[in-house]
Amino acid sequence: MSKKTKETMDGAAASRRRFLQAGIAGGAALATAGAARAAGDPVITEVQDWNRYLGDGVDAAPYGMPSEFESHVVRRDVPWLTADPVSSINFTPLHELDGIITPNGLCFERHHGGTAIIDPADHRLMINGLVDTPLVFTMQDLMRFPRENRVYFLECAANSGMEWRGAQLNGCQFTHGMVHCVVYTGVPLKYLLEEAGVKTSGKWVLAEGADAAAMTRSIPIEKALDDCLVAFKMNGEALRAEQGYPVRLVVPGWEGNMWVKWLRRLEVGDEPWAQREETSKYTDLLANGKARRHTWLMDVKSVITTPSPQAPITHGRGQTVISGLAWSGNGRIKRVDVSLDGGRNWHEARVDGPSLSKALHRFYYDFQWDGSDMLIQSRAMDEAGFIQPTKNELRAARGENSIYHNNGIQTWHVKADGAVENVEVS
Amino acid sequence: MLKFLKSGLLATAVLAVPVAAHAADVADGEKVFRKCAACHSVGEGAKSRVGPHLNDLFGRQAGTVDGFKYSAAMVAAGESGISWDEQTLTQYLVKPRDFVKGSRMAFAGLRKSADVANVIEYLKTFDEKMASSLGSAEAEMEEAEVETAMADKPALAADMPLPEHDGAFKLGRAATEDEVAAWDMDIRPDGVGLPVGSGTVADGEVLYTDNCAVCHGDFGEAVGRWPVLAGGQDTLTDDRPEKTIGSYWPYLSTVYDYVRRAMPFGNARSLSDDDVYAITAYLLYLNDIVEDEEFELSNENFTDIHLPNEENFIPDDREQEAHYADKSEPCMTDCKPDPVGITMRARVLDVTPDSEEENTGGAID
Ligand code: HEC
Ligand code: HEC
Repeated sequence: MSKKTKETMDGAAASRRRFLQAGIAGGAALATAGAARAAGDPVITEVQDWNRYLGDGVDAAPYGMPSEFESHVVRRDVPWLTADPVSSINFTPLHELDGIITPNGLCFERHHGGTAIIDPADHRLMINGLVDTPLVFTMQDLMRFPRENRVYFLECAANSGMEWRGAQLNGCQFTHGMVHCVVYTGVPLKYLLEEAGVKTSGKWVLAEGADAAAMTRSIPIEKALDDCLVAFKMNGEALRAEQGYPVRLVVPGWEGNMWVKWLRRLEVGDEPWAQREETSKYTDLLANGKARRHTWLMDVKSVITTPSPQAPITHGRGQTVISGLAWSGNGRIKRVDVSLDGGRNWHEARVDGPSLSKALHRFYYDFQWDGSDMLIQSRAMDEAGFIQPTKNELRAARGENSIYHNNGIQTWHVKADGAVENVEVS
Repeated sequence: MLKFLKSGLLATAVLAVPVAAHAADVADGEKVFRKCAACHSVGEGAKSRVGPHLNDLFGRQAGTVDGFKYSAAMVAAGESGISWDEQTLTQYLVKPRDFVKGSRMAFAGLRKSADVANVIEYLKTFDEKMASSLGSAEAEMEEAEVETAMADKPALAADMPLPEHDGAFKLGRAATEDEVAAWDMDIRPDGVGLPVGSGTVADGEVLYTDNCAVCHGDFGEAVGRWPVLAGGQDTLTDDRPEKTIGSYWPYLSTVYDYVRRAMPFGNARSLSDDDVYAITAYLLYLNDIVEDEEFELSNENFTDIHLPNEENFIPDDREQEAHYADKSEPCMTDCKPDPVGITMRARVLDVTPDSEEENTGGAID
């Protein structure tokens, strides 16, 4: 095991230990202690250090980091999934986040040849193929095109891919954490293509990265001219290196692999290129041995992020918040329903915050928990009328070897002690 | 204190026009300094951060900026008489930890000697003493700029030429043929993009053994969890299908394209076009698609070869699946028989990374 992996895992273990201690048992212990101490809660009745001594001055952290008490909120990987950390995945800690925007440092990573480190002064974007004039842009050139700001989710097609054969990973970070959502600033791809002049025979665009995998994907021209962006900022600051600094492609609603990072070239052609990532990978093998290709769109999907296995209920019965995320590559989310009894009965959840096309939506279900076992689920519907299917419906249609595009309804078993487990139901 | 010598249009002009290397030392040095800027600052009001500020560095004894906490090693180096000049800086910046053993500077060093020279040149512009003698350096710089400016580009915005193409924004410039050739290396199933060349199975075996077998195994069977490249024929409907070039991939062009662009892993683009033909031929051989060791694959016969699974790829028809085709309102009450049972638990297959912790007494179990 690499040193880094070991550290990640120790970190994960430590944080797990911490919240286990703070579980219902911990909560109960506190409550008793509190009752016994008639004088009151010592953090109130005694003067605390932070209440007396001065804190750091303004320059202590030129680039601010989260509070030290949030150090467990990190991306985590599953080392056994891939042969090498350089061509691997880690996962967004969805169970620790709220709202619809993912902080830049927590956006999951998937790269095929490691993170390319590129000085923007040395970066070029070329457009060639079926165009009037093949062009080369510097970063400065790109920044001179009119820009747009758009919020989009990015989901890896293999998100939840480990769950095809049944419940496997105990944590929504691992079952659903290959998704994030940020606001991108960039130039419509259309402007760049039009600057070079797409010939009428141009039907496809090949996007290529500058990394050691020279990642490539074929994109139909209709999509390229519709809502794709060539983005250089995420959440207001420069892209993170691991998200494609200095520039990446944004392909709203479509699988993350197409959002080529470290974007260096766009080629216009009249046929798709059948690259490795659209033949060997990112094709969906069905039970009958046939495989679907060009399954670009990310289907309507949702998941309850808390409570979930890494975020058990620690407060006992009574007022309880169920919080989760819903999204669809077809556009906006129209409605989310929540079930507490494994899908027998459903209640409409409350979507709160902006409802933007092809962006994460945050939903809540606030209720009084009576303290008994629950099988909690969420089910999303999008504005195109698609309804999130059950895992068994997906298996019936596709078998269990698809790897990609598993958007089935997730069930968490919440037990009487507040612990939560990933399960499948009848 | 001298400010940045160049900025704005001048710098752009210098960047855009290839200039003689020596004329652009400071500008290049400024770029190199980005590697240092995470820790060091220079210029007016520069403060020590992770590393000491680097103003007035020349002639300064090592380890002596007031208020900065140096390593004992750096202080000792200074006390033993080391002060910063072109020579000591060059040695330090190439291998910081060799020059000052125990230096706290967490920086591996600059690999290119031009980078070292340029960054030193850049640091001089923030040195008062150098600046007074630099009257000359500055003049040199200005001269260089004037030269550049006169040689090619005028420095005034209004005089900058616009690119000659039909785009609406007049941005970017025309790519040269060599540039397109250098990057456009994709190959399509119909053979478009194939370079001229050839290679035999026998040559491929040698190349494969040297460059690929450590990870992918002598017969493409894979070592550990690296990808399997051969075998798996007739397993696509099994519980655990094995998807390889022979069993799954639709097109041979993808093999050539991918190996040339991304393999060997960690040393991409190191094989010649002929090498890639030879390795591709060998991968066909490992997958029993050709059987003759003398077989030679070339741009001429490439598209004659079809992989066995080509016909088994179909368009995306997810929308026709029963659960999507049915657009009626979903059921809200009594949708399943009571009670709903648990059919499977993650715990049974628990592969969660920190499950060890769970098994050793977590309340979750
Ligand atoms: C990761 C942070 C870091 C980076 C990057 C870095 N340095 Fe440093 N540098 C330091 C630290 C810390 C020290 C003090 C070392 C000590 O005390 O041993 C230092 C010391 C120095 C010194 C000696 C200064 C003195 O007052 O004696 C010079 C010169 C220097 N660095 C130049 C550079 C240059 C030039 C670069 C870029 C090519 C660079 N450093 C990159 C952290 C860094
Ligand atoms: C250091 C280990 C290593 C070496 C050496 C190596 N590869 Fe790979 N290979 C990989 C990894 C890792 C991947 C998957 C990369 C990814 O995730 O995108 C891969 C993927 C492939 C694939 C695609 C497999 C699939 O099913 O999609 C082919 C084909 C391939 N390699 C051929 C080669 C050839 C030919 C060579 C020698 C010239 C080679 N590799 C050398 C590690 C290696």
